[in-house]
Amino acid sequence: MSFLIAQSIINGVILGTLYLMMAIGFTLAFGVMRIVNFAHGEFYMIGAFLALIGVNWLGLPFPLALALTAALAILLGALVERIVFRPFRADELSGMIASLGLAMILQHAALIIFGPDPQSFPALVSGVYRLGDLIVPQSRALTLGVGVVILLAFYVFLMHTRMGRALRALVQDQEVAAIYGVRLEIMYPLGLGLGVALAAVAGGLMAPLFGVSPFIGATPLLKAFIVVILGGLGSIPGAALAAILLGLIESLTSSFVSASAADIVTFALVVVVLLIRPAGLLGRGEA
Amino acid sequence: MSTSVSAPPMASAFGGWLFVALLATLAAVPWFTGSVFHFHIGIMVCLAGMATGGLAVIAWVGQLSLAHAAFVGIGAYTSVLLVTRLDLPFLVGLPAAAVVAGAVAYIIGAPLLRLRGVYFVLITFALNELFRLVMLEFPGISGGSSGIAGVPKIQLFGITLAAQWQVYIFTLICLAVVMALLWLIRNGQLGRRFAAVEENPALAESSGIPTARTQSLAFVIGCAIAGATGSIMAHYVGFVSPETFAFQLSVSYVIMLVTGGRLALWGPLVGAVFLTPLPEFLRGAVEYQHIIYGVILIAVLRFLPQGLAGLPEQIARLRRDQR
Repeated sequence: MSFLIAQSIINGVILGTLYLMMAIGFTLAFGVMRIVNFAHGEFYMIGAFLALIGVNWLGLPFPLALALTAALAILLGALVERIVFRPFRADELSGMIASLGLAMILQHAALIIFGPDPQSFPALVSGVYRLGDLIVPQSRALTLGVGVVILLAFYVFLMHTRMGRALRALVQDQEVAAIYGVRLEIMYPLGLGLGVALAAVAGGLMAPLFGVSPFIGATPLLKAFIVVILGGLGSIPGAALAAILLGLIESLTSSFVSASAADIVTFALVVVVLLIRPAGLLGRGEA
Repeated sequence: MSTSVSAPPMASAFGGWLFVALLATLAAVPWFTGSVFHFHIGIMVCLAGMATGGLAVIAWVGQLSLAHAAFVGIGAYTSVLLVTRLDLPFLVGLPAAAVVAGAVAYIIGAPLLRLRGVYFVLITFALNELFRLVMLEFPGISGGSSGIAGVPKIQLFGITLAAQWQVYIFTLICLAVVMALLWLIRNGQLGRRFAAVEENPALAESSGIPTARTQSLAFVIGCAIAGATGSIMAHYVGFVSPETFAFQLSVSYVIMLVTGGRLALWGPLVGAVFLTPLPEFLRGAVEYQHIIYGVILIAVLRFLPQGLAGLPEQIARLRRDQR
């Protein structure tokens, strides 16, 4: 029994790390630009395809493919901010509806280019690590490791660089940040670009585990949603707490009850949190 | 965003008749071509128009629901279960669908409607997913992922609507009833209350309008219309499954509403008429259909914030400005 619990906790932490990568970009876009980005999951999908193209078609080594994916995603995100989201800066609801349209466009463009069939991604590593009775597949451990490194790098960027400080200032108060010289026309595209780049990198990282198809964006989007609602829209520490919590809840519920029960429990939790504390666990009260 | 600015009365009366004439002509198209397929599209336009009309009522108090498909689903399942399990006639199932959907909306509306803006959208999104997951969890009721097939056709007073044109006439009547209801609400005291709540809830509350009850009423009416639509849809298509009422259906209603005009009376109808047949005109390019939907949605949001229904007004204003 205790072994099962320990195994579930390990799996939960792995899941939580992945959810966090999705959720941070999502919450950053909301914090900086007040955009609820329904197209966030499609960038996960695009990241997976970019990594696939890099590794399979161009024969690049995986780390290089991942770095290129991140760079391209930043550019794409900045472009999308300029074309789609910029006109809706003052209007949260219209921006959100526009992102629904963007999600449809991106998903079906991928469908036309790559076809509906899932494509397999070559495994990077195989085998498992054993810790006593506990089993961690090496592929998952690798994903976890890379994910943690990227998240740490992002943390350092946010907390200890000029641009990171500017982004955090924007999350706190746009007008005051602008008065203090934060340049919105650079920070907005950068904010969305970085956010979707995190999603794209998560997609690239996940591709070897789950395969690649135009429809893979839906689940990560849902998870990002849940994490961000639980943690509080726009709150990065809240997202961190909620992501790990969600990973653990899912993993434990699916080991001890069933996988579909895990989904229902998390959605019910989302509804309860929204009703009792709309600003989320660590969000600022504004709803 | 308010729409209460209206065009000059003369122009609007003439434009109104022109619009009605255009709609009547469009509605008659299937009889000219005589094609079963065109009747089918006509029926789908009517159903989409009804459901989107329900969504519009909710939008009039300033809330955008992404759970609309779930309420269509609640109506569909209510009616299907009553007709297939209890052998009740469709004429019992249809109102029951509206009542059950409305009752559910009433119960969950009170806590839900405290949330505004994006938070309301988020919670309704979560609820739509919850509905789908819970229904999948109870295959005894919902038929699980394979759904319930062979739902009996619509029956009115012992007459089975077997032919497409019969169903089409029935759905046209239902659509007319829904639009008449919307018109009555819009032009009555209730509509003004809705508009006041949409525009400025705090001000509305302080001028003696019970905002919470007003919003709840709009939500109940909108969801009841969705429920009735679900009942007709289920008996026409002959099949229901939890997946039918997934998030994507909610999104398509939102797209129709926004494209037609979020706050206009005719918005939902214009959106349904414009977007439902669109895939059929794109036969050769089915895979581009959703891309075109997405582009239209973003373009309308950007350039026609009042939707297609607001287009004449916008043109009129342009002309006035030029003079």
